[in-house]
Amino acid sequence: MIAKKVSSAKKVTGNVVALLVAVFFAFPTYWMVSTALKPRKDLLTSGYDLVPFSVTGSNFATAWAKPGFLSALGNSLVVTLSAVLAAIVIGLLAALALSRMRFKGRKGFVMMLLVAQMAPFEALLIPMFLMMRDLDLLDRLPALALIYFAVTLPFCAWTLRGFVNGIPLELEEAAMVDGCGRWGAFRRVTLPLLGPGLVATSVFAFVTAWNEFLFALSLVKDQTKETLPVWLSGFQTAFGTDWGGAMAASTLFTLPVLVFFLIVQRKMVTGVTAGAVKG
Amino acid sequence: MTAVHTTDAAVPTNSSAPRRAAPDGAPRRRGSAFDRALPYLLLAPAVVAILWLIGWPVLSVLVTSFRKLNLRELTRGEVVWTGLDNYAEILGDPEFWTIAARTVVFTGLVVVVSVLAGLLIALLMRLVSPVVRIVLQVAMLLAWAMPLLAATTVYQWIFDQQYGILNKTLVKLGFDGFAGFSWFSTGTSTLAVIGLLIVWQAVPFLAFSLYAGAIGIPKDQYEAAGIDGASAWQTFRAVTWPELRPLLLMVTFLSLLWDFKVFAQIWAMRKGGPDGGSTTLPVYQYLEGISKSHFGVAAAVSVVMVVLLGLLTFQYLRRLVRSQEGEL
Repeated sequence: MIAKKVSSAKKVTGNVVALLVAVFFAFPTYWMVSTALKPRKDLLTSGYDLVPFSVTGSNFATAWAKPGFLSALGNSLVVTLSAVLAAIVIGLLAALALSRMRFKGRKGFVMMLLVAQMAPFEALLIPMFLMMRDLDLLDRLPALALIYFAVTLPFCAWTLRGFVNGIPLELEEAAMVDGCGRWGAFRRVTLPLLGPGLVATSVFAFVTAWNEFLFALSLVKDQTKETLPVWLSGFQTAFGTDWGGAMAASTLFTLPVLVFFLIVQRKMVTGVTAGAVKG
Repeated sequence: MTAVHTTDAAVPTNSSAPRRAAPDGAPRRRGSAFDRALPYLLLAPAVVAILWLIGWPVLSVLVTSFRKLNLRELTRGEVVWTGLDNYAEILGDPEFWTIAARTVVFTGLVVVVSVLAGLLIALLMRLVSPVVRIVLQVAMLLAWAMPLLAATTVYQWIFDQQYGILNKTLVKLGFDGFAGFSWFSTGTSTLAVIGLLIVWQAVPFLAFSLYAGAIGIPKDQYEAAGIDGASAWQTFRAVTWPELRPLLLMVTFLSLLWDFKVFAQIWAMRKGGPDGGSTTLPVYQYLEGISKSHFGVAAAVSVVMVVLLGLLTFQYLRRLVRSQEGEL
């Protein structure tokens, strides 16, 4: 067929273009890691240094030992993990009610979740600031944990509802016929099947909170309470011109997210496209 | 919305809609009071959290926008109503209009470029050999996974005036004018770098979603187009485009929502500078509210932001509400 001949020529061009596009997307990551591995003196030359000829771990050591890095890493972990844990637990309860039960007011709640999901959180900066001030939470990590919980909760509830919907109710009913109680049926049948959905939803929530910058910058001025994004945004003053240290810190910041992404990438796409607007 | 419907189609929805062999409400023993209360108990924590942490701030931002609320009023606990003064102040300020227009144009450009690039890459992925496809997907995954602030830092380093790899490469290619060229000397070029950064991070998600949509298009439709002797462009117009349109609309809507409120990359890059040249509405809101403690004015800016975003997405929101009505 003619179509086949055309497509083989097209395929070669397509492959070449695709590889160029791949270089465009991969280059900043490559540049981050390769800069992080270069000795300091090699960075500040006018020489052309696309490939690192000598490699060192000293930038990582510098970043790790830099005042603020470890505490920022710890703060980010504490805030993010507590927010995500709360959002997943409370979101799952809501998802179960919405997906498995019929009751008055259900429609209203579904609508509320949809609207909450589209709320532009950045526009709530001022009331959030005033609220945290009234609660005496300014400059304290629980303020950020609460806000990240609120940001991720509608998404978690909505996406989990989609995942619960995907598990046939008949399975649970069969378990109940076999003598399990409702809770037993849920714990032995639905919960294990829900595992991948829970992981994918948590990762997305984790990344949202891990990245958050506006509220972290606005509500926390105390440097010992900074999260990683805020700490990193101040690297120019913190490091002077130490690009090697900054790239090493960026690499350490990226690693956990990259690992999570590799695990759940496929689920993320379906979860986000389906969950973001409608499941 | 068809593309999104499919996820929901196999699933029992509400009691009025026709359902596929689905029982009415989970377990059928409807008797006990506990059973009837259970859904409300399960929903209670989420409802409380949403009303308290989202509902209340939404009301509060509206109320605050009609108050004079600076540090003075805040520390004294005074409530001073000023009607529409805050709105008059920002809307009467020509600089505000510059910033608003800049935000809309910048958002529009970033959204158009990233959705188009995402679509082209999605279609490209169908064309290439499996190995190349995996290489491309891994490369995009790297961009997607990098935290915003790490990406911003890397871009600053790539675009560094003296030692940045971009200027070094351009000089090596013979463009000597780029030795020591500053990419952050004007607002426009600063926004161009930020726009590139946003597109670079946004495209992977768009390409992956559109690719997932594209491989869902039935093969026989392409075969039929092939038999009819349709050209590549005609096939795209007749088969790919109508099938992908709902998904394209949705990712465009999401991109508008996400890109309009970008703050981290802009602030971390040059704090809205030079001379306010890369300041957008979210940056302006931060400057007024947090830096200057003009909370009332900043709240008015937030309200205007939401109104503008509503106008930008109005058509799609209307479709969305209409498509939801029958089937919640």
